[in-house]
Amino acid sequence: MNVNKLIRMANQIAANFEYGADQAKATASVADHLRRFWTPEMRAEIIEYVDGGGTGLNPIAALAVAKLAEETPRAFRAT
Amino acid sequence: MSTDFKPYQRADDFGTPVSASNREVKLTVDGEEVTVAEGTSVLRAAAVAGINIPKLCATDSLAAFGSCRLCLVEIEGAKGLPASCTTEVRDGMKVRTQSPRLADIRRNVMELYISDHPLDCLTCPTNGDCELQDMAGAVGLREVRYGYDGANHFDAEKDKSNPYFTFDPTKCIVCSRCVRACEDVQGTYALTIDGRGFASKVAASQDQPFLDSECVSCGACVQACPTATLTENTLIEKGTPEHYVITTCAYCGVGCSFRAEMKGQEVVKMMPNKDGHANHGHSCVKGRFAFGYATHKDRIKTPMIRETIHEPWCEVTWDEAFTFAARKLRGIQEKYGRDAIGGITSSRCTNEETYLVQKLVRAAFGNNNVDTCARVCHSPTGYGLKATLGESAGTQNFDSVMKADVIVVMGANPTDAHPVFASQMKRRLREGAKLIVIDPRAIDLVRSAHVEADYHLPLKPGTNVAIINAISHVVVAEGLEAKEFIEQRCDLDAYEDWRKFILDERNSPEAIEEETGVPAETVRAAARLYASVPNGAIYYGLGVSEHSQGSTTVMGIANLAMATGNLGREGVGVNPLRGQNNVQGSCDMGSFPHELPGYRHVSDPKVREMFDKEWGVEIGADPGLRIPNMFDAAVAGEFKGLYVQGEDVAQSDPDTQHVTHALSSLECMIVQDLFLNETAKFAHVFFPGSSFLEKNGTFTNAERRISPVRKVMEPLAGLEDWQATQGLANALGYPMNYSHPREIMDEIARLTPTFTGVSYAKLDELGSIQWPCNDKAQAGTPTMHVEEFVRGKGLFRVTPYVPTDERTSRKYPLLLTTGRILSQYNVGAQTRRTENLKWHDEDVLEIHPHDAEQRGIEAGDWVGLQSRAGETVLRAVITERVTPGVVYTTFHHPESGANVVTTDNSDWATNCPEYKVTAVQAHKVTKMSEWQRNFEEFTEEQIDLLRRARTGAEQTVD
Repeated sequence: MNVNKLIRMANQIAANFEYGADQAKATASVADHLRRFWTPEMRAEIIEYVDGGGTGLNPIAALAVAKLAEETPRAFRAT
Repeated sequence: MSTDFKPYQRADDFGTPVSASNREVKLTVDGEEVTVAEGTSVLRAAAVAGINIPKLCATDSLAAFGSCRLCLVEIEGAKGLPASCTTEVRDGMKVRTQSPRLADIRRNVMELYISDHPLDCLTCPTNGDCELQDMAGAVGLREVRYGYDGANHFDAEKDKSNPYFTFDPTKCIVCSRCVRACEDVQGTYALTIDGRGFASKVAASQDQPFLDSECVSCGACVQACPTATLTENTLIEKGTPEHYVITTCAYCGVGCSFRAEMKGQEVVKMMPNKDGHANHGHSCVKGRFAFGYATHKDRIKTPMIRETIHEPWCEVTWDEAFTFAARKLRGIQEKYGRDAIGGITSSRCTNEETYLVQKLVRAAFGNNNVDTCARVCHSPTGYGLKATLGESAGTQNFDSVMKADVIVVMGANPTDAHPVFASQMKRRLREGAKLIVIDPRAIDLVRSAHVEADYHLPLKPGTNVAIINAISHVVVAEGLEAKEFIEQRCDLDAYEDWRKFILDERNSPEAIEEETGVPAETVRAAARLYASVPNGAIYYGLGVSEHSQGSTTVMGIANLAMATGNLGREGVGVNPLRGQNNVQGSCDMGSFPHELPGYRHVSDPKVREMFDKEWGVEIGADPGLRIPNMFDAAVAGEFKGLYVQGEDVAQSDPDTQHVTHALSSLECMIVQDLFLNETAKFAHVFFPGSSFLEKNGTFTNAERRISPVRKVMEPLAGLEDWQATQGLANALGYPMNYSHPREIMDEIARLTPTFTGVSYAKLDELGSIQWPCNDKAQAGTPTMHVEEFVRGKGLFRVTPYVPTDERTSRKYPLLLTTGRILSQYNVGAQTRRTENLKWHDEDVLEIHPHDAEQRGIEAGDWVGLQSRAGETVLRAVITERVTPGVVYTTFHHPESGANVVTTDNSDWATNCPEYKVTAVQAHKVTKMSEWQRNFEEFTEEQIDLLRRARTGAEQTVD
């Protein structure tokens, strides 16, 4: 899938969760949203992108993707 | 004959409306004791007792008028002969409906009427179904002593301008029922009685032909007419129906109940059902008249297949089509993986059909790649209301509006998109309720006959969140919250967080004034009005949901309603006006890729276990692809097969060129539809669909009201839609063996806590049911969240305004917003195949005079409309309905290409497209856009491939 769209979507989600929340809470909310609404393949693609040094995510979105990466065994990330 | 079929007879008419009083009154009518509610007319009380007093100007959909003098009665102790329609019952009243004196008067009255009425009963369209004829019989009229040579109206000319009904003034008795229906029932005030005395006549607008007048062709006048003055053309052509079946309209989220009045398998009339709980006997031009598409010559009646989209279709049997489709889909899964296919359910189809498609995807395809067209309209409603109130649905029934003191209409245009509910709303506004309209356009409700908004907030497209936050800011900053309600009903920690957020100065009306374009004082005044009355009700539509912050606005609306205590009783609430007939139902039925029926997330193991056991499969715990994700994955080569039931994504979804690129990338697309729609032109398998007249099932309207859809004719292609889905499932090796949709509903009830009590037997008994319907609410739930919210405590959500990325620029200085009009419906596949084209035969671009002048554009010019996604060309209409800087169009005609211009921007939470905000430039042009030329070429090719398939089949038969 077009990773630029995934980045844009993740950034939008982060922008809507970060107001007034501390970093940990905002990160958890974004990660939860990605878990609940994105397919495993979409999550894997953005994790792979970040793992590969990709940029463009805003700080909260990046932290949320990192959080997903932590809980996703590498073996299951391949798309 | 099915038990759904009833012998034709005119619906019972009690003469005057039912009284809402709880106090009972006892009287006697012709010696019969009768008990009725206080405020009931004598005419109605007699009818309740089974005594039919002659009447002509009275009908129970209209307030008593007292003009015809036929319903006179004698009342013991009363002077004279009062009209029973305008006389209210009193305790102990003794009424006599028949006497020699009354008989003489009634006969004389009828004699006068008939002296100016053509005596062509035998060839009259309403012969045998005419109230005037009935009354002549009832009063025993045997002669007309005046003769027929005096002054009369026999030479008056018929008005046949309206495509659906004929106005024959020679038959008019000037009872004013049509005029009153136009005023009281529809609220349009297009008809009047012109002239005085003998010259009195019914006139449309300024005595214009009906088609040119303000008439919206709802047909209320035709329905109210007691003679053949206003008559449906189909009745004139076909004659009186012989049976009828109660069913539910397949247009819009109001979900009107109708009597399909039939002759054999042919519909003569669609008559609004007086017992219909959503419409109470009213309808609009679409529901009542625009049913001709169901038998249109473009209907495809044979399944078709082809290997590629550039070869002719091959007509096949249903079994061959199922086998071909199953082989293709399984082949794709073997080659690309189990997740490379998916399905799209339709808000135009029944609950049972939708349920079955999502079951097919989850059980037979083996993944969660199912989504519904609600993705592109009301998915933010599902998200936003679930997150705040705990249930993804509107909170009220339509009748609730009759108790509202302030009505807020935000991003909705009910007079065009939900006309029957709009009529009810206008009735309440005429009774004195206040109105706040939040919309970039001056929609009809802002100012129309006897309705004027107290405040219109003409915000810039894309600034909904800023406005709704500002209204809440005023409520909290000025101490207008419902503190007790909040303390008792809401999560207080979340409330405190929200309170702090909303009080931030950045949310004040003054701070957002420049961004929204709405004067701060107007916002403050509107907020004060909404918060100051006992009952404030909010109604919203796609102008709220179809934005990059659609879900946020929905949560903002819920916040505002909670903050003011406007939830949990009649007259208040948060009311999404659903676009299509079964948007609510398609969402309820588990069409979303992350939710099983009843809005339960697929990650919940207990929920999955129930379905696993019932379906005999193991459902995946992760969400599947949403529609825009499917298209992106198709373009990326990861998604190869799609089953689309009853949707036309190639026309309705945004960024058309991206969508058609995705559809062209598929190796197998199955389209199930009535017509070769835009999407079907990219398909490899075509399952001919069945119209709502050809199948059984249920629709769920915007009030959560489940209503029966009943088969009135055999499916033209041989199968009801659910049978086709079942055939595909069986061909895929997943057995489905339903013999009737009632069995599907039984399965839904077994698996869905909010549907536990729903069954076809109960629907037959009650007429309709609002879910939740279960042990706690056996007859359903008209008002939700009464004692507590579905989620327990109401949850205020912080709703920061995040401006959309879709901003104007030097290159694209205007904002395009799109919508719908009254006479057309969604992609127009149905309404374009009816006489509704008389009102709207092309989509046009509304542009403000200032913007038009700047560009040298004049009315009727072709205008190129360009965005970063694409360009199309539309004809200009110059109007002040749009504000400077905003242009508007509709998407009812495929060649208009409105969605060539809309972009892939979408709601952050749900991916609902941002149809309502596209930065564009407009300029005068002389020829079609490149997309339009390509579209025309591709359409010609596809029509030719369809024609060749048909020709081929005929040759085979020969």
